[in-house]
Amino acid sequence: MSGSSVRRAGRLGAWLLALAAPTVLLAQQPTAVVRGTVTEQSSNAPVVAANVAVKNGSARTQTDERGEFTLRVGSLNDTLVVSRIGFQQVEVPLAGRSAVTVVMTRTAVQLSEMVVVGYGTQRREDVTGSIASVDSTRLQDKPNTSVVQALQGATAGVTVTTSSSGAEPTIDVLIRGRNSITASTDPLVVVDGIPYDGPLSEINPNDIASLDVLKDASAAAIYGSRGSNGVILVTTKRGTPGKPRMSYDGYVGTSEIVNLPRMMNGQEFAAVKCQHINDGVTCTPDQIPEALTPSEQEVLAATGGTDWLGLATRTGHQQQHTLSVSGGDENTRYYLGGSLLDVSGVALNDDFDRYTLRLNMTQQIRPWLSLGTNTQFARTDRSGLRADFSDAFFMNPLTRPYNDDGTLTIYPWPEDIFWNNPLQGLDAVDRDINDRVFTSNYLEVDLPFVEGLSYRLNGGLDNARGESRRYYGRTTQIGSEVQGRAILDDDRRFDWTVENILRYTHDFGRSDLDVTALFSSQSSTVENDGLTAQGFPNDVLTYYQANTAALLEPEASQTRRRMLSQMARVNYSFDDRYLITGTVRRDGYSGFGANNKYGVFPSLALGWNASNEAWWPTGAVNSLKVRLSYGLSGNQAVSPYRTLSRLTDMPYVNGSNSAPGYRPSTLGNPNLKWETSRNLNLGFDFGVLDGRLRGTLDLYQTRTSDLLLARAISPVHGITSITQNIGAVKNRGAELQLIGRVLDRGDLTWDADFNIAMNRNEIVDLYGNGEDDVLNEWFIGQPIEVNYGYVFDGIWQEGDDIAGSAQPDATPGDIRYRDLNGDGKISADSDRTFIGSLEPSYTAGLTNTLRWRQFQLSALLTTVQGVTRSNSMLATNQLFPEVRRTGVVREYWTPEHPIDTYPANREGVNPLAMPIYQDASYVRLRDVTLSYNLDPSLSSRLGVSSARVYVSGRNLATWTDWIGLDPELGEQRAVPQSRTLIGGVAFAF
Amino acid sequence: MTTASIFRRASTVAALAAAALAATACGSDFLVEDPPDIIVADNLYTDPAGFEAGLNALYAEVRREREGRSGNNELSAEPWVIGVDNGWGNFISTSERVFTEWGANTHSQQDVFYDTWTWMYQTINAANTIINRAANPDIAWTPEERDRVIGEARLFRAWAYRILTYMWGPVPLVLEESNGTTIRTDWERAPVADVRAQMEEDLLFAEAHLPEVTTDASRLSKAVAQHYLAELYLAMDRPAEAQAKAEAVINSGKYQLITERYGVQATQPGVPFMDQFLDGNVNRDEGNTEALWVLQWEQNVAGGGSNIMRRYWTNRYYNIRGLAVSAENGGRGIGRLAPTQWALDLYEPGDDRGSAFAIRKYYIYNAATIPSGHERGDTLWLTSHPEEASDETFPTTRKWEWVDPLNVSGDPQYNDQPYIRLAETYLLLAEAQFRQNDLAGAAATLNVVRRRAHASEIDAGDVTLAFILDERSRELLTEEQRRFTLLRTHTWYDRTRAFNGRSGALITPRDTIFPIPQAVIDANIGAPMPQNPGY
Repeated sequence: MSGSSVRRAGRLGAWLLALAAPTVLLAQQPTAVVRGTVTEQSSNAPVVAANVAVKNGSARTQTDERGEFTLRVGSLNDTLVVSRIGFQQVEVPLAGRSAVTVVMTRTAVQLSEMVVVGYGTQRREDVTGSIASVDSTRLQDKPNTSVVQALQGATAGVTVTTSSSGAEPTIDVLIRGRNSITASTDPLVVVDGIPYDGPLSEINPNDIASLDVLKDASAAAIYGSRGSNGVILVTTKRGTPGKPRMSYDGYVGTSEIVNLPRMMNGQEFAAVKCQHINDGVTCTPDQIPEALTPSEQEVLAATGGTDWLGLATRTGHQQQHTLSVSGGDENTRYYLGGSLLDVSGVALNDDFDRYTLRLNMTQQIRPWLSLGTNTQFARTDRSGLRADFSDAFFMNPLTRPYNDDGTLTIYPWPEDIFWNNPLQGLDAVDRDINDRVFTSNYLEVDLPFVEGLSYRLNGGLDNARGESRRYYGRTTQIGSEVQGRAILDDDRRFDWTVENILRYTHDFGRSDLDVTALFSSQSSTVENDGLTAQGFPNDVLTYYQANTAALLEPEASQTRRRMLSQMARVNYSFDDRYLITGTVRRDGYSGFGANNKYGVFPSLALGWNASNEAWWPTGAVNSLKVRLSYGLSGNQAVSPYRTLSRLTDMPYVNGSNSAPGYRPSTLGNPNLKWETSRNLNLGFDFGVLDGRLRGTLDLYQTRTSDLLLARAISPVHGITSITQNIGAVKNRGAELQLIGRVLDRGDLTWDADFNIAMNRNEIVDLYGNGEDDVLNEWFIGQPIEVNYGYVFDGIWQEGDDIAGSAQPDATPGDIRYRDLNGDGKISADSDRTFIGSLEPSYTAGLTNTLRWRQFQLSALLTTVQGVTRSNSMLATNQLFPEVRRTGVVREYWTPEHPIDTYPANREGVNPLAMPIYQDASYVRLRDVTLSYNLDPSLSSRLGVSSARVYVSGRNLATWTDWIGLDPELGEQRAVPQSRTLIGGVAFAF
Repeated sequence: MTTASIFRRASTVAALAAAALAATACGSDFLVEDPPDIIVADNLYTDPAGFEAGLNALYAEVRREREGRSGNNELSAEPWVIGVDNGWGNFISTSERVFTEWGANTHSQQDVFYDTWTWMYQTINAANTIINRAANPDIAWTPEERDRVIGEARLFRAWAYRILTYMWGPVPLVLEESNGTTIRTDWERAPVADVRAQMEEDLLFAEAHLPEVTTDASRLSKAVAQHYLAELYLAMDRPAEAQAKAEAVINSGKYQLITERYGVQATQPGVPFMDQFLDGNVNRDEGNTEALWVLQWEQNVAGGGSNIMRRYWTNRYYNIRGLAVSAENGGRGIGRLAPTQWALDLYEPGDDRGSAFAIRKYYIYNAATIPSGHERGDTLWLTSHPEEASDETFPTTRKWEWVDPLNVSGDPQYNDQPYIRLAETYLLLAEAQFRQNDLAGAAATLNVVRRRAHASEIDAGDVTLAFILDERSRELLTEEQRRFTLLRTHTWYDRTRAFNGRSGALITPRDTIFPIPQAVIDANIGAPMPQNPGY
């Protein structure tokens, strides 16, 4: 561990102490009531819905979502019997204790049994909607910087994409396809009951107890206008009563670049440049120097060329350490966790550090009154500017990165100063710090005079502050042109949520009723202050010298959005066979027009536990549940102030004085409202072979109308787009998840968890008149995102009848466009069409887990199939005229090498600038983890209650035909994909 | 527990719950948006200062002509300064290719057409917003103040329609501020005559209400309106009215050609003609009597902007061994554009406009290493020669040379520049006189311009349309919107074919009018938007 890491760990320890001190545990009060917690042996996770009964007695109860129970017993000398399907039954003599901790061991593979459903929890058997729960073990032992990475390949219908790589990768989550054309398709994230707008990478994944994903409208409708993209419910860890438990989990690892395309070296570049200037004819060796500028020749002779990507990258390192203390008694539960994450990415200067401190605590004040908090403080540090990877990928290798004195060149190619040094960011001074307090608190009152009625007040706060400071000195191109530039930016977020929840539950004997009512208000305000200053006497004071600047340009903005909501939900179950859930939510959102502030979102769902029927045969199928739901949810993901016509800054000067100017920039739309999704879902949950194989099949159709479209309009308006509610899209899909024990042979078990999903997306309507919108590339009957353009029809060869073709001006070696309508000319109106599909034909994930004694080996395979994307790496204009940029090594058409796949290396081969498309399907071995749990007898001898060591690798192998950085990444000239290997240890005592 | 105590408890809880609900129900305006940080039309155009801010943006719109469409790249003026008889693309990037190699490269999906169209209609919408909202009777101003504001806005509108009609011929005529509730998909192209009638009305209004001169010619004056009217009447084949408007400017007594050395380099070798382009000499209050309209830039001032005229016109001489970027050599250029060989050869000996002060004809060897056979300080002389792509030895204009004294190799350029000069008004007058067969008058007018440049005097027998166009090239090389002049005189195709050594053979009659941007056609789903022929 480096010196700075030791210092960080010390700082972390100080914080832990500071926060632990006020955690005063309240004294026990003797009572005839037994409280306890049931946990699972290997993960220490709570066991929910376990039956707790007094042996030979009548008192019985079930554990709640925290694995906790309260039971009135006749005597503190009774024995409790704790049982649960899938677990070995345990008998616990109380022996005078009023608080117990029960540890259960699993007997078979399980779907998690208690489900967080939003504004409460439900038993899995009672759920009527489509809700996927992600096992907390998926969060373990992996180099995740964000909790959503645990969702990748984990559950059907949740597509997780790493759209950009780096120390803090950008992770996109798409649930059941694209319901919206231009509004956000990000799901709503709710952390401990409170909607969370920040990056999930600012929450420590090790503090997470469970992840639940609401996929269909009946589940998501309780989040009304924010539910249509699905909802991810994140629940953080809680303490368990009993002896304080301290645990540590930490890993260190390294990462290396993988899948880097083969870029041209200096020699290859010189040859390609000469060939290009020579109109596609291969040069003789003595022609090559003539094609190069003087400085290019010098670099070629001196060094053979510069590997710009090599200079911009490194071997990455990462480490994470989490220390937590948890415990409690029958009245108080606490979990205190601190963590440090330190990632140095494969790109130089690409660093991500995170420090978190979490206190989760609940306190029973009176039998009818309790309160609690889930609070995290996080500091994230993204300081440091990496190289410009787009420029580094394009940069001519025959240029100089450094001056003779070792400093960065400002213009690496003296004859072409268009090109800055791609490494200039490495010379900038950059500080980027975020502090965030996210806290969710509640007060709960049980109203004893009405059995089953309770009131809960939830209060959430998200108070975040970001500070960014950057200075470009005279050693950078940006700084040299203006004698130093400082860019300062501060933003402050203050979000609050207040929820009033009334809940009534009643057990009628054979049937159960559960009613929830909500009134909530939310507000989110982001204030931003920025200052750009330039023209300084020198670079010494970096961004601390704005007072001496020649030019100061301040900037300030405020963004505020507010919501008012009411929601009611009724769950009724009869005899554990028939289930019904009805919800209705009404939302008001400030960003919509005065006439459309409010929307109502109802839903209804039915469930039938067929296997609970008396007539259900014993046989291969042990359990079957059928679910049917229909409901409305919304998408309000439109920025505030879209209903207003706005102006933009366009200043001029009078002499040497600034003359403020404004011009219209945005057309307001006073009629804006939300998108509405109508979703129908039919689901089956089944178990066969004595629960050895369990599965879920869901079929759904969603029709989203009143789409919030940033519609491109005729530029004749003087403004080129407007946000409107127009059109409709449809998503249909099927999802299957199968979990089974493939092998069970004593010490050796093999579990497999497979999921596959397919979604078909289709625009149903645009402007109500059946017309396509070619300008925006939206076509009725086609998916929202399409490849639309001319069709590649090979390469014009010598001897072809060019003069008589649709491209009479073409020369051999040019791209041949397909004349689709055969009218003898290539035109935008009639010769553009759809090329492949941007929507995968299916996505799938497979997790295999092998356990042998104390060893466990798990491997996750993910795949995306049937995607065609344009590949910018292969674009015909990538080299620029006169070859001012470089590219991948590839073959070109020449008369001697008349290929039919790629045109000649010269200008004019592709006058219509069509992109080159490729199959972007892939299969990836994403994670492999090997862990060893110390034998209990051994660990107790060491004084620890459990101990585990593990090694894990990410991105170990990828199978694809894609030429470029990675088929998963969006931008292909960006930070490369990396392979990460970590080794870690976890123990608790 | 008694019923009464249950009731008491229940009411306590209900009161608590009600209080909690009340605390979160924040009144009826909780969802009303009132952004404190955003300028909207309704709160800007409420007083004269708001309208001035609207006009400032229109000045900034015009200034874009000499800025890049994409950062420091793609000079916005490219469509009308190259692909003509006196300008060509010396280095081919995407947009230069459109106006140099023509053919399949000149199509409706090229960004240059979309960008230019969008820029013009953005200007028109900004002008319409001012014109419409100035009618609001609640604004505290005098009718004169109001009409001056409307006059400026209408002149800008005419400026934009002028470029639109020359680029595309018939175009939609929009006179109302765009509104979010009335998005149209059925625009129709108005005949050029209708658009010009509106331009005439706008310019006449501006002429009537703008001040005769403005202090530094950075703001619009009556003379600018009259200058554009003179040109418009020539385009409308009404030469007598053109003559009257041109003479109104010339005879106003407010403007004179620069005939003597003046200003910042008056004591150094030079010619009067070039003094008016030097930083520090350009504005009226700096001694320039010739400029009718000066575009303003300023370093280190918000709104100061920067232009790329030198970047685009000055050549890449530093690619020649022994030459390095310096102020003496003209600063840093990338030589995308160049005058044609024909244009460089138009000058007779002794014409100041063709002298080494106006045309870059030599460089001084100044680099760290000098090729053998030369000494540092030696002069490398350039001569005109046939146009061939990427020629760093090609001569070019010196009108745009400028360097940042703190950063000689810096890219951005901050000097003010003449946009309309009285010399061009004279040339419009000569054309009007020629069109009315007043050849002697035309010769006399041309001689005013020629005399200042120390070119030989001509007589009536020399005056032809070709001569006038040649004279315009000599005088206004790289300043003029050359394509528009040639289209106005119906000579673009023949003269470009004859005189542009790079593109002459590549153009076809189709290219006299540009393709309507595909986005405009594709968005017009409610009515046909016919493409120009041949695209």
